[in-house]
Amino acid sequence: MTAAYLVKFAISAIAVAMMVAITAWATRARSPALLDETSARRWLAVEFPNRALDGLWIADDANGAIARSGDDALVLSRLGAGWVARQVAWSQVMAAPTSNGRLDIHFGDVTAPRAVLALNSWPPQEAMG
Amino acid sequence: MSSFDPVTLATPFFILTVILEVVLARFGKLKANYETADTALSLTMGLISGTAELLTAGASFAAAIWVYHHRLFTIPMTAPWAWIAVFFLEDLTYYWFHRLSHERRFWWAAHVNHHSSQHYNLSTALRQTWTGGVAGTWALWLPLSFLGFPPAMVAIQKGVSLVYQYWIHTEAIARLPRWFEAVFNTPSHHRVHHARNPLYLDRNYAGILIIWDRLFGTFQRELDDEACRYGLVHNIGTFNIVRVAFHEWIAMAQDVLRQPRHVLGWVFGPPGWTPDGSRETSAMLKAQWRARQDRGAAGPANP
Repeated sequence: MTAAYLVKFAISAIAVAMMVAITAWATRARSPALLDETSARRWLAVEFPNRALDGLWIADDANGAIARSGDDALVLSRLGAGWVARQVAWSQVMAAPTSNGRLDIHFGDVTAPRAVLALNSWPPQEAMG
Repeated sequence: MSSFDPVTLATPFFILTVILEVVLARFGKLKANYETADTALSLTMGLISGTAELLTAGASFAAAIWVYHHRLFTIPMTAPWAWIAVFFLEDLTYYWFHRLSHERRFWWAAHVNHHSSQHYNLSTALRQTWTGGVAGTWALWLPLSFLGFPPAMVAIQKGVSLVYQYWIHTEAIARLPRWFEAVFNTPSHHRVHHARNPLYLDRNYAGILIIWDRLFGTFQRELDDEACRYGLVHNIGTFNIVRVAFHEWIAMAQDVLRQPRHVLGWVFGPPGWTPDGSRETSAMLKAQWRARQDRGAAGPANP
């Protein structure tokens, strides 16, 4: 690795920092879309088009949702301005630990290790039976 | 190999146009969707990818020189016809490289990070692989040197192709004139390529010329009533750059360790392949989508 290469790399790194700073400035006023029941159902229909929903719980801060579909839980969680969906066993979601009103679901998936959803009243009474 | 590097020369243009797209979008002058963490990830991946490439540059350079020493013909770098020929042949090579990178998991593992953003803008173009050299796809260009094209000529044309493909990563340009859309890869065609809608999966592999997709049956027009949703079939749930760079390699290794007797399928099957069909390949997703379309029960195209 030559000195010229290192100089080129350093200049590029400064340019990257500058572009990120400009992006941060340009997007600072933008607030990400929140989920309501309609938008959650729409997203779940896209992510799991073959699944019928038996129940749907929206996170208290509207940054995620859990749907029950048979023995599975369909989990929608926020990543920045986008959404990430994963399917796990319903029993796993029911047994997931909560702390300070936040449900911590581990997917065992290297691409999406966990989702933390603000669900103060989890597990839901209607799903306990 | 060559002191003329189109990508290095174009770098100031990359920087200026990203800034321009961000600022013009900020003032509502064009369509572009930026997000700070996503942009930082894309640009940092691009920054480091050049260094990662150095790890295998020696091997790929030596291989190209060795093959060129055993070439069939001697093609002069000064002849205009040679540049026309290398333009078409390199672009055809790129098409098959890109198709392989989507349709076989081993090479998808190296390419997937380029598709991992849920946004589509000029910074996405710079979200480049760190493991392309290790995946060995550079070998696909060796036949050009075996034919007799000097390795420097091939390298320059590869750089030209990479620079061309930069500007098509944008939502700011809707459609270009019909003749241009018919022949060249365009923002519209490449939006389809980056979309995760089942209809659009594994389509438009072109580098510069879209004619290869039309010729080999992988072309899909961007439809007004099927807006592109960008990212992966199962979107990645983190901005951790190391996970983004290596996640598919790790997942593949986990699968192989769990079921070593299916190693060939896990490594060289299509992405989403499983021995028991419990995950979905692009072909399966497309078939399911078509079945829903046929039943008239498809989900909403554009949430």
